[in-house]
Amino acid sequence: MDFDFGSLLAFIIFGVTIGVVYGIVALGISLIYSGLDIVHFAHGEIYMFGAFLGLVLSQQIGIPYPGAMIGAMVLAALLGMFIERVFYRRLTRSGGGYTVAGMGMIICGFGMSVALMNVAFLIWGADAEPFPVEFGIEPLEINDISIPPSYLLTAVVSLCLMGILNYFLRYTKIGLAVRAVAHNKDIAFLMGINVPLFISLIFGLACALAAAAGVLVGPMQSVQVEMGYLMLMKAFAAAVVGGFGSLPGALIGGILVGIFENLGAAYISASHKDIYAFLLLILVLMYRPAGLFGVVAKVKA
Amino acid sequence: MISFITNFTSAIESLAKVHRLLPWLIAYVLLLFLPNLITATFGEYYVDLANRCCLFILLAVGLNIVKGFCGQVTVGHIGLYAIGAVTSALLAQNYGLPFWLSAPLAILVTCFAGLVVGLPSVRLEGAYLALATLGLGESVRIMIAVTPALGSSTGIMMIPAPTIGDYVIESFDHYFYLVMTAAIIGIYFSFVILNSSTGRAFKAIREDVIAASVSGINVPFYKLLAFVISAIYAGLAGALFAHMPPGYLHHNNFTVIEMVTLLLMVVLGGIGNIWGGVVGAIVVTVIYDQTKDYYFYQPLIFGITMVFLVVFMPRGIGGVIEQAIVKRKFIEKHEEQNLGTS
Repeated sequence: MDFDFGSLLAFIIFGVTIGVVYGIVALGISLIYSGLDIVHFAHGEIYMFGAFLGLVLSQQIGIPYPGAMIGAMVLAALLGMFIERVFYRRLTRSGGGYTVAGMGMIICGFGMSVALMNVAFLIWGADAEPFPVEFGIEPLEINDISIPPSYLLTAVVSLCLMGILNYFLRYTKIGLAVRAVAHNKDIAFLMGINVPLFISLIFGLACALAAAAGVLVGPMQSVQVEMGYLMLMKAFAAAVVGGFGSLPGALIGGILVGIFENLGAAYISASHKDIYAFLLLILVLMYRPAGLFGVVAKVKA
Repeated sequence: MISFITNFTSAIESLAKVHRLLPWLIAYVLLLFLPNLITATFGEYYVDLANRCCLFILLAVGLNIVKGFCGQVTVGHIGLYAIGAVTSALLAQNYGLPFWLSAPLAILVTCFAGLVVGLPSVRLEGAYLALATLGLGESVRIMIAVTPALGSSTGIMMIPAPTIGDYVIESFDHYFYLVMTAAIIGIYFSFVILNSSTGRAFKAIREDVIAASVSGINVPFYKLLAFVISAIYAGLAGALFAHMPPGYLHHNNFTVIEMVTLLLMVVLGGIGNIWGGVVGAIVVTVIYDQTKDYYFYQPLIFGITMVFLVVFMPRGIGGVIEQAIVKRKFIEKHEEQNLGTS
């Protein structure tokens, strides 16, 4: 393959757009991690459910695309809160950490992910479903590279969502409470914050973000049952690369994963595309476990 | 039920006093008749099922070492199994190596892979480690699925069966002797490891990493050792699986669903409980096989079962039985004391 600057640029642009989506899912994983001290293994399935819900809302019920997106976000948030209330609440009560109880949480999430995937399979079947949306915008042309409107929209909407979240976390009172809960639950509780409620809120927020990502990815790729699992891995890679608990870190990590993956697929081998994200994940974990922007967490004795 | 178990264990303990290998030998000899019994009562197909049970016992026991003893959450174990299977199959097919040479080589390769999977464990904990190992395990499967030399979509066919001299082990009941021997040896060695200083070091790491390192345990070394030992189990199971009678390998044998069933076995039996893992392996494999008609609902049922097990019975079957035995002993002791005072 001869080297061509234009195509390189194209791969990077596509990598950035898909990377922004990885970034918002990574943000959700990061939020849940800071709120509950667990990695939610079924997060990829929430993303998949979000995509399907958006598809159903916009194609079968006929709600316009932005409305379908908000609807899917609300529904996914409710689903996430339900999961948190029913399962994770019990487990966190019996002690978190990485003892046998902590291992239980991981296994619980793993089981839930498989069960949710199967539920989606039973409802919607195994076929990849197209998600056609009319945006009414012309493809953007940069140096003979035409960027489809869905990619543009994805990047813009993702960045907007992140901006809103950033504003919410930094400058509102509820956001302050969320950060307090993430920082230290006991002290937050003493300060009069309803910690269980806020943990539910964090979970719902993270799931809404995942659903938004699902609805955004839908028009770019098709919607299918198995999409969640790889997304979880890539988003996790993004979260780790950027450093857990860092908002710009998640975004930049996602973009890095997206670019890395697209370049790997273009210049090394396209069929191994899904492996590159794991490769980056492993490399970062080995050499910089705290991520590029994270702070090294102190080990609790 | 509980009294039966206590009587049984005390009988075995008295046997073990004669010689420590005696109970294992008796169990082995009794199990030699199992294929005949199964063929007579159920049919030959169920011998194949028993073979698969033995393989999953090996896998579950191996996973228990790294997960139950050492407390490292790995969910990429099925990747090691895949590496063992594919290596042995390719060596036997492309280079004509006999099973007795290809299997040890496959185990060696898997050991090395186990070391690679274990490396993140030196720096990572809990959920991070779980995802890193999941990534590695899944990459192995994707590698196999997309690389033609490793079988890709058609799988590896016509893998030669193991031979002893001129005799080819290709019937289900003769293969049973091979996998059963491996399973018994595997279980025995996992007990040996558990009761050795290595096992105690594993348990110390599981309980508290910092306390363990203060007590002079080389934590990275023992973590890696746990991964390598479990990789030996996985490699052996993989090699045995590759050469099992149909002689056919496909990457669909190593999906997330398999990983979930493997996890379910360990969770059902009780994390860190060897016999629990064995019972879990048998129960889950048999249920998995018998409910094949409801294939579409299997992941749902298995996933939900796993969630509920973790929520309501976190210590599994083994844990529940252990607790019942302890309770019973406690009651007996108190009754004796009461009799003495009155």
